[in-house]
Amino acid sequence: MDIEALNKDVESAIRQVNSLQELDELRQKYLGRKGIIAELTGSIPGLPKEQRGAFGQQVNALKQKINALIIGKQQSLGQAAVGPAEGLQDITMPGVACEPGKLHPITQVIQEICTIFMNMGFAVFEGPEIETEYNNFTGLNIPLEHPSRDVFDTFYLESQSKDRLLLRSHTSPAQVRVMKSSKPPLAVVVPGKVYRPDAVDASHSFMFHQIEGFMVDEEIKFSDLKGVLEVFAKAVFGKDIKMRFRPHFFPFTEPSAEIDISCIICGGKGCSVCGRKGWLEILGSGMIHPNVFKQVGYPAGKYTGFAFGLGIERIAMLKYGINDIRLFFENDLRFLKQF
Amino acid sequence: MKFTYNWLKDFVETKLTAGQLAGKLTMAGLEVTSLEEKGKDFVFEIEVTSNRPDWLSVIGIAREVAAITGKKIKGATRAVNRQSAGKCKKPCEDTLAIQVENKKDCPLYTAKVIRNVEVGPSPDWLRERLELVGCRSVNNVVDITNYILFTFGEPLHAFDLDILKGDMICVRRARSKEKITTIDGEPKELNENILVIADRDNPVAVAGVMGGRNSEVTEKTKNVLLEAAVFEPVLIRRGRRALGLQSESSYRFERGVDLEMVEPASWEAERLLQDICGGSCVLAKASTRPKKKPRTVALDTSDTKKFLGADIAVSKIKSILSGLGFSWKAKSAKRLSVGIPSHRPDVAVAVDLLEEIARIYGYEKIPNTLPAVKPRVPEFQERDAIRLIKNILVGLGLQEVITYSLIERGRLKGFFPEQEAVAIANPLSSEQEMLRPTLMPSLSAAVAYNLQQKAPYISIFEIAKVYQVNGKETYHLGIAFCGTRSLWFGPQSPHANDQAGILHLRGVLDVLFQRLGLLAPAEACHFAQGQGLDEYSVQVQKKTMTVGMLKRLPGEILDRLDIKHREVFLAEVDLGKIIPRIQKIRPIRPPARYPGITRDISLSLPQGITFEKISQEISNNGKELLQEVKMSDYYTGKHISAGHKGLTVSCLYCSAERTLTDAEVNTIHAQVIKALQEKLGATIR
Repeated sequence: MDIEALNKDVESAIRQVNSLQELDELRQKYLGRKGIIAELTGSIPGLPKEQRGAFGQQVNALKQKINALIIGKQQSLGQAAVGPAEGLQDITMPGVACEPGKLHPITQVIQEICTIFMNMGFAVFEGPEIETEYNNFTGLNIPLEHPSRDVFDTFYLESQSKDRLLLRSHTSPAQVRVMKSSKPPLAVVVPGKVYRPDAVDASHSFMFHQIEGFMVDEEIKFSDLKGVLEVFAKAVFGKDIKMRFRPHFFPFTEPSAEIDISCIICGGKGCSVCGRKGWLEILGSGMIHPNVFKQVGYPAGKYTGFAFGLGIERIAMLKYGINDIRLFFENDLRFLKQF
Repeated sequence: MKFTYNWLKDFVETKLTAGQLAGKLTMAGLEVTSLEEKGKDFVFEIEVTSNRPDWLSVIGIAREVAAITGKKIKGATRAVNRQSAGKCKKPCEDTLAIQVENKKDCPLYTAKVIRNVEVGPSPDWLRERLELVGCRSVNNVVDITNYILFTFGEPLHAFDLDILKGDMICVRRARSKEKITTIDGEPKELNENILVIADRDNPVAVAGVMGGRNSEVTEKTKNVLLEAAVFEPVLIRRGRRALGLQSESSYRFERGVDLEMVEPASWEAERLLQDICGGSCVLAKASTRPKKKPRTVALDTSDTKKFLGADIAVSKIKSILSGLGFSWKAKSAKRLSVGIPSHRPDVAVAVDLLEEIARIYGYEKIPNTLPAVKPRVPEFQERDAIRLIKNILVGLGLQEVITYSLIERGRLKGFFPEQEAVAIANPLSSEQEMLRPTLMPSLSAAVAYNLQQKAPYISIFEIAKVYQVNGKETYHLGIAFCGTRSLWFGPQSPHANDQAGILHLRGVLDVLFQRLGLLAPAEACHFAQGQGLDEYSVQVQKKTMTVGMLKRLPGEILDRLDIKHREVFLAEVDLGKIIPRIQKIRPIRPPARYPGITRDISLSLPQGITFEKISQEISNNGKELLQEVKMSDYYTGKHISAGHKGLTVSCLYCSAERTLTDAEVNTIHAQVIKALQEKLGATIR
């Protein structure tokens, strides 16, 4: 068959089509399984060897052209596509999609919390996990031999050097690092891993995550701490939660406060999650102790600031109703895929 | 710290119920962790923070209740009055010498000799009170010392006087290798860092921690030496840690015991020993009292507004301070000089007083305000890069995992030389021995765990620190693939299987590096054969810098992880080397205005010819019109001769200036085919 002639026939035939049904008939005629193009392709092996290549290319070009013409006509007939005559597929079959990957729930909670503080103007900083005794303790007004260190059991590194290195037992050393390297005004949050030699059980892990936050300037007040943390808690747990600030003790803040929210499980009536108290402790905070400012070399009395720290796993467990911290590190895909 | 409602009411009047009191205490900083009704009493348990040793006593808590409720503390003064009358009734022949080797170790030591005690069971009221707070009743003498400890926070110790040799008490450091058997029955070897109470010859107690067995008060005891003292906190802490001991006494001494409470407590004990045990005090001796320095802290009352953000009247401030036992002198309308009582060693600077004021005023009454935040210029940092990388990887269907940074030594085998990894000096278990230098062992274990849970297909990643012996830590990216999944692409193509392989790793890294702007030619990533057959290294910077590796887990590691009939593919990339190369802004080309022409080539080639060589050859001959070379089919089997593979590649030719004609593409494409045939020994299929 003459390719040139076919070229012209096709063009005029398609021009004359007026309905999708006619267009589909035309498609069958040219492109169908027993259509003209298939016939041409089938004839190639019968040709003399030297003609095969050029002829094949001509057929290929024609096929592409017909395709393009049909698609153009479809659009001009105002239809997106011509479906098979028997109608749509069974819509109750599973949809076709790639299975998505997910961020680890701890990553998601860290990002959520960082975003809340970044929207309030805080910058994100990360410090190292291997720390000095100075940054982890002394610089934060925690004397080396003092009962206040008992809550901070710490992993030490085996090392030849005389400086004792440890794995930070909280994210607070970042306060010392940031303040030593920058002048106020400062508004910083520090997410990261921390380590404490604890036997692993449903509520303890020797590795977990914290977020430290602090703000230092010339007129930062305790009432600002209350205000900022209220914004935070309501953003994470909802506008309707109640909060209370309880006096507490941390060596690096004075005054110090622990913050409770009304139990998100029972609404404050008392249940097993809140230990029948109606309140859940979510973070520790306070006004940065003048000794910490002294350690980082700020002039006495010039600056005030607040700091707070919270455990990410605890927030995630409360948020998602998880009662075993080990699930976060077991990495069972059936658990992780739900987030 | 446990105490009971009735015990507390011995020292302060209150109309509050136990429940109401628990609420008030919690909101004042003495968090009540449990409240139980037991018989006719209520048992409170409070969490006492390490700065408040004064709360380790019923009287200390009574002071706090008095301050919160505006009442006065009662009863405690009784003992103080007795102290002034604290003379022994009859002169006697007893002599006792107190030697304190170092005043720093023991600022005050007092001893009372009490004769003719009748040791026996305690009266019911005493036994019941102690049992309510979880203290076992021993005998009336020991119970009295414990009762005073809980009431006053002053630990006492009673020795059997007739066991002590030489009429002397010596407070000294233990000598090297000296031994003592403590009340718990354990023999202990002592050293110079441990403070002991000794008679003329031997230690009879580990000072402030635990008494010795041979001098303890038993039913046979007739005469008692009653010790009340203050010891240096750090010394007590070191001593009890070295000996692995902990007691109600050491708990208080290492937090600090109030010097002013020593005499009242010991005289109250003397009174009880007389009333209950019939003993009489014949001798009272004490080491010289250290000189008292009255401590004052200057307070600017307007700081409550500036620092706390609360308007609190000066009169209110004064009454709060007085209620807590602080004295004050007005220096001006706003300025006070505040005297610190001896039971408040924690108050040293003005903010400590501001906390006291805020606590009693009520944190809840301080308003919530928002500070003005001064904006800063954000910089693109490591953390933003990591967030971007994580988002790209989850977009590719990988699941993020978080595994422990500490791992067991043995798990490094086959991955990393263990002597080059950082060890933990004080691990609790073998799982915490090392800080990991590579993510691969943890990811392999995560794969093994999920295979045990019958996961058919695993594609995971982690971004975490790895650690070097020099203390340096760097973020690494680890990726693991394992298993087969059947994909559902609808009824048109229902049989798609995806079996994880090394190219899955390559695919992920190709997309990642492309998205990060690590582009050809300078930074494009290359994959080169690594040390073993199963390893490839990932290189950038014209192949001059290795940034990571791809690996198929060898059989011995699979065996160790108990992985059977599966292959595991791992990648690890040093992000410390990648992140500085990220191009945030990179050139974007407009799409071609003129349509391109695609030509497929089906080839049969010797197995050893790599795709890289083929595409290189095509590019060399396809010249500038060649836009893209894509692999579209791969085949080995009966239609291909042995040692060969069948490939189909698609070549896209395109020009930015014009529509290409078939003829010119044909010419170029013919050259491409010719080169493949001649240079690579390809046959066209």
